[in-house]
Amino acid sequence: MTPTLHIKQLLVCSLLGLVACSDQESDFGRPLEQRSHPVDLVLLEDGRPDPSVLAADQVVRRGNGEEPETLDPHHALGVPASHILRDLFEGLTAESPDGELIPGAALRWNISRDARTYTFYLRRDMTWSNGDPLNAEDFVYSLQRALDPATASSAARILLPIQNAREVLAGELPVEELGFSLLDEFTMQITLTGPTPYFLGLLASPVAYPVNRKNVEEFGDQFSKTGNLVSNGAYVLKEWKPRVSIELEKDPNFREAGQVLMERVFYIPSEDASTEVKQFRSGELDWTNEVPNNQFKWLQKHYPDELVTSPWMGSYFLGFNLTQEPFIDNPSLRMALTLAIDRQIITDKVTQFGEQPSFALVPPGIDGYVPFSPEYADWTQEERDHEALRLYEQAGYSDENPLRIEIRFNTSDNNKKIALAIASMWKQALGVNVTLVNEEFRVFLQNREQKVITQVFRAGWISDYNDPYSFLELFRTGHGRNDYGYSNPSFDALLDEVGTERVRARRERLMFEAERVLMSDHVIVPVFTYVTKRLVNPRLKGWQNNVMDHHPSRFMFMLKSRNPDIQGEQQ
Amino acid sequence: MSKPVLRVQDLAVTFSSYTGGLLNRHERQLRAVDGISFDLDPGETLGIVGESGSGKSTLARAILGLVKVSRGRVMWRGEELTGLDEEALRQKRKEIQIVFQDPVASLNPRMTAGDIIAEPLWTFYPNMERLQVEERTRGMMKMVGLLPNQINRYPHEFSGGQCQRIGIARSLVLNPKLLVCDEPVSALDVSIQAQIINLLKDLQKKLGLALIFIAHDLSVVRHISDRVMVMYMGQAMEVAEKASLYRRPLHPYTNALMKSVPVPDPKLAAAARQESWLKGDMPSPYQRPKGCIFHNRCPLRVKRCEADVPALRRLENGDWVACHRAEELDLSIQVPASG
Amino acid sequence: MRQEGLLRHATTRLLGLVPTLLILITIAFFLIRMAPGGPFDGEKVLPPEIRANLDANYHLDEPLLQQYFRYLGQIITGDFGPSFQYKDWTVNELIAQGFPVSATIGGLAMLLAFVLGTLIGTLAALRQNSAVDYSVMGVAMLGISIPNFVVAPLLILVVAVYAGWLPAGGWDWSWQRMVLPVITLALPVIAYIARLTRGSMIEVLHSNYIRTARAKGLPELLVIRRHALKPAILPVISYMGPATAALITGSVVIERIYSIPGLGSYFVQGALNRDYTLVMGVVVFYGVVIVVLNFIVDLLYAWLNPRIRYDVT
Repeated sequence: MTPTLHIKQLLVCSLLGLVACSDQESDFGRPLEQRSHPVDLVLLEDGRPDPSVLAADQVVRRGNGEEPETLDPHHALGVPASHILRDLFEGLTAESPDGELIPGAALRWNISRDARTYTFYLRRDMTWSNGDPLNAEDFVYSLQRALDPATASSAARILLPIQNAREVLAGELPVEELGFSLLDEFTMQITLTGPTPYFLGLLASPVAYPVNRKNVEEFGDQFSKTGNLVSNGAYVLKEWKPRVSIELEKDPNFREAGQVLMERVFYIPSEDASTEVKQFRSGELDWTNEVPNNQFKWLQKHYPDELVTSPWMGSYFLGFNLTQEPFIDNPSLRMALTLAIDRQIITDKVTQFGEQPSFALVPPGIDGYVPFSPEYADWTQEERDHEALRLYEQAGYSDENPLRIEIRFNTSDNNKKIALAIASMWKQALGVNVTLVNEEFRVFLQNREQKVITQVFRAGWISDYNDPYSFLELFRTGHGRNDYGYSNPSFDALLDEVGTERVRARRERLMFEAERVLMSDHVIVPVFTYVTKRLVNPRLKGWQNNVMDHHPSRFMFMLKSRNPDIQGEQQ
Repeated sequence: MSKPVLRVQDLAVTFSSYTGGLLNRHERQLRAVDGISFDLDPGETLGIVGESGSGKSTLARAILGLVKVSRGRVMWRGEELTGLDEEALRQKRKEIQIVFQDPVASLNPRMTAGDIIAEPLWTFYPNMERLQVEERTRGMMKMVGLLPNQINRYPHEFSGGQCQRIGIARSLVLNPKLLVCDEPVSALDVSIQAQIINLLKDLQKKLGLALIFIAHDLSVVRHISDRVMVMYMGQAMEVAEKASLYRRPLHPYTNALMKSVPVPDPKLAAAARQESWLKGDMPSPYQRPKGCIFHNRCPLRVKRCEADVPALRRLENGDWVACHRAEELDLSIQVPASG
Repeated sequence: MRQEGLLRHATTRLLGLVPTLLILITIAFFLIRMAPGGPFDGEKVLPPEIRANLDANYHLDEPLLQQYFRYLGQIITGDFGPSFQYKDWTVNELIAQGFPVSATIGGLAMLLAFVLGTLIGTLAALRQNSAVDYSVMGVAMLGISIPNFVVAPLLILVVAVYAGWLPAGGWDWSWQRMVLPVITLALPVIAYIARLTRGSMIEVLHSNYIRTARAKGLPELLVIRRHALKPAILPVISYMGPATAALITGSVVIERIYSIPGLGSYFVQGALNRDYTLVMGVVVFYGVVIVVLNFIVDLLYAWLNPRIRYDVT
């Protein structure tokens, strides 16, 4: 122990004067400035980093947002749980650091001509973390478990494309009737109800991960707890301290254990983004889940090497309730409101995180899809405002007879700021009188769904899977989240075609056409597309930005620090 | 005549109070005790009488050093108390004790009678054995007329008179030489008053105490005092032997007090009130009258009283008075006072 | 006789707990059910088949009254049921994990606040209207008026980020991680207790029996300790009942800012997520804690004030 630390401890002790002071060496308090300069990365011929540039201690501490609701992959829906489960488990398919699909437990697969039957050839050298062999039967059991009504999993909806999934979930058919068949110990087939181009991507999500049958049957509800959980991924669960940390340890039984450099991973939950930033700054985190909106400018200035932003597969928009006045059968008015927003000002001055101004529904960068772009996207804002005013007056409104509407949003600082900005833009360009209404989240959702008192409301979507269809299907007639009351037979017909089309280019064109129809009907006011934003220790490498924001720890590694003194501190 | 145990010389106590806000703070001074002098012989009882606000209680506390003295001296057996530090003064508590006015409120409600009485022993004789302390406590209780088996009772279980007995026991437990009784009976029923006064008188005789007995009416003091001092607005108006004072008061104020003594007969009381000597209320202590401080209420005032301050002077018979007209007035009591 | 009175008092109070809790449970149960939305409503809508399975699994498909009686029957056995939100844990497990943390932080904060608060308050009272008094009470005023969501980030910034003396957040039962949250929690309470103590201490110091104690020749310190302190802290004691309950059941703000796994966020998270069992569990638990603490305060009060001992029946 160094003398300085001694004095600090004494000081702090006298500050409180209550608790006994322990002598234990703490691992916090390494100033970021000293930690943040990595040595240059040197790669070997096989593309792996040279061991001489690696830090002695391969540990990463990842801020992970809220406490995961479960570590049972078949129940997990939330983003925090999925980050952890991706490290613990491996599905038939997996994702590379850039988000591309790569073989997981299945070494390769065939897709039938009608795009409904997938044949998976599993690796033969796989074991569970307890050493038990892992084969295709485990996957069939697990997928059946996920869809079993007795499991009552909400995540099961992701597996609905599987044949008879709906009927099994409804209790009309037994799980044996699901579209799974076992060809041999390491070969299995999955049959779908219809072509689902993004199905391979779904198999990389937690609900499609295998669970160990003996493990589940032995421990029941308790199987995901510390000491019980058996998994098949690169890491095993070492300790789960609820709302404190989840510690993972590299699994020596993992098929590619030799390739995995990161030895230990800590997932630290946090309910407060500013706290995460402070923990990062004081050296307790290498990776934050997010950063608070209001700190962007400051972080950009002081932590330019650490601050990382990247497009995400989510859109922020406003929705119109098309079933009520004033928006029912009033496309001119809807278009006027869509035009009269200066999106550049919102992203530059309000949200400030490098979000992209948006004129369409689907964010760019999703599976190579190029979103529809309306004519007015290329206009100046002045031109848009001018046209907006013309449409507004055409709809029968004027300074003497202004439109009075409510913008409804779920309570959050960011939503409020954006709504305020939009309200003032509408006021300025058109003279609209806007009232802001904020509501608690579930109240807000219920009001949206009931379509009675809503007029303009905050909407948005973050995709479950890497496919534009995830955004488009929201607007299908009768979809559970179609809170707009939008119903256009030609749009629905296009989506039906998208559902059966096998050829990628043609399917993309159909989706583009559907998006065009939707945008021409002015159902939503696009505002911007989301970005992920976080602080990352510059010594942490092996990860890449991707639209899904999936970052498996098994590809990550920690570089040495440039400062040799600090290196010495890495026990 | 023996040497006095207590000499009070030109004692004054001034309280400051502040008016106005933070910036225009204005200090006002209240002379609660203003140049009092007297001697007290061993075993002697001095009665001090005055209306409320005359400064008699402050004088009592000043003698004990419970308030800060602004002028003058208190000499106890040749030693000046007024200059002593807190600790030395505290040691003098063994010799000088006080009994307070409100017997119930003056006892800590969370302590038993026994603990209240024994506490001075714990303080000054920390090494005294428990049994010895208890024995002494029981002895004191017996002495003041309490039942020793009430030792574990709390003050709220006693009557006012009994509480005052506890207060007296507590004050005497250290064997003081001087006991200052600050209106010890004014909060009690008349019938109880006599009991307490008699008790004090007995104890004084038995223990050879010097006693200062403060009251706001002359009849209470009469029974117990050897000499009486009459105070008005912090000053002594008259200091006289009991016999001569009650026979022939020298100061109009004494006379006024005498007249306001409660009379049992309602008819006489009405008559007494009708010819009440005291006009109006005591002036504000912040605006002391010029000349004789009593002149504005005095029915016998002359021109001189408004301008000249009468000094406290000794008359031929040895009594002291502060009145220009003491010799020319005859304030003899026609009706013998009762009691 | 005294013990008997106290015992009877205690029994009555404990029996009174039952109807109190029953009313609490009933109101809380129907209130949370009346709130719009349910535990499985989210931005992503569940297919009806899945929704039905979930409802059946959690008995949400039964009539509300039947659910209520099912819940009562369950709670009598001490079982709060499984959490809707944290699927791997029962509410009992969550409370068992959260409460020791909250109780430690809150208890230490209360202890600190009580010791410092009465000390500061007494000091100010002894030096009434002096510079010490004004400055101490001025700081106390600040302590009350600055909300802890301002104090906490400031403390973290100075002590953890710039000085690096203590961690910025997180939890592992080490003293280092307790210091800042305890201080943050305690600050306003210290200030409040100091003000309470000062006020009542000044009043007590002016009382006649304090004058008596001084006349007895007690050193001033003993006058304060033996005669003035007990009556002066009476108002503090009655304040401490509800205050301790509030502190040891966890503060959402503190838990969020310092990333502490206490009980406070469960209440808020439970309510926001419509995690019926979790909210109910925490509410019932709070109820018990508050009643028990008030009861303890009652006893303490009786101990400090002999006059009311005989009034208790």
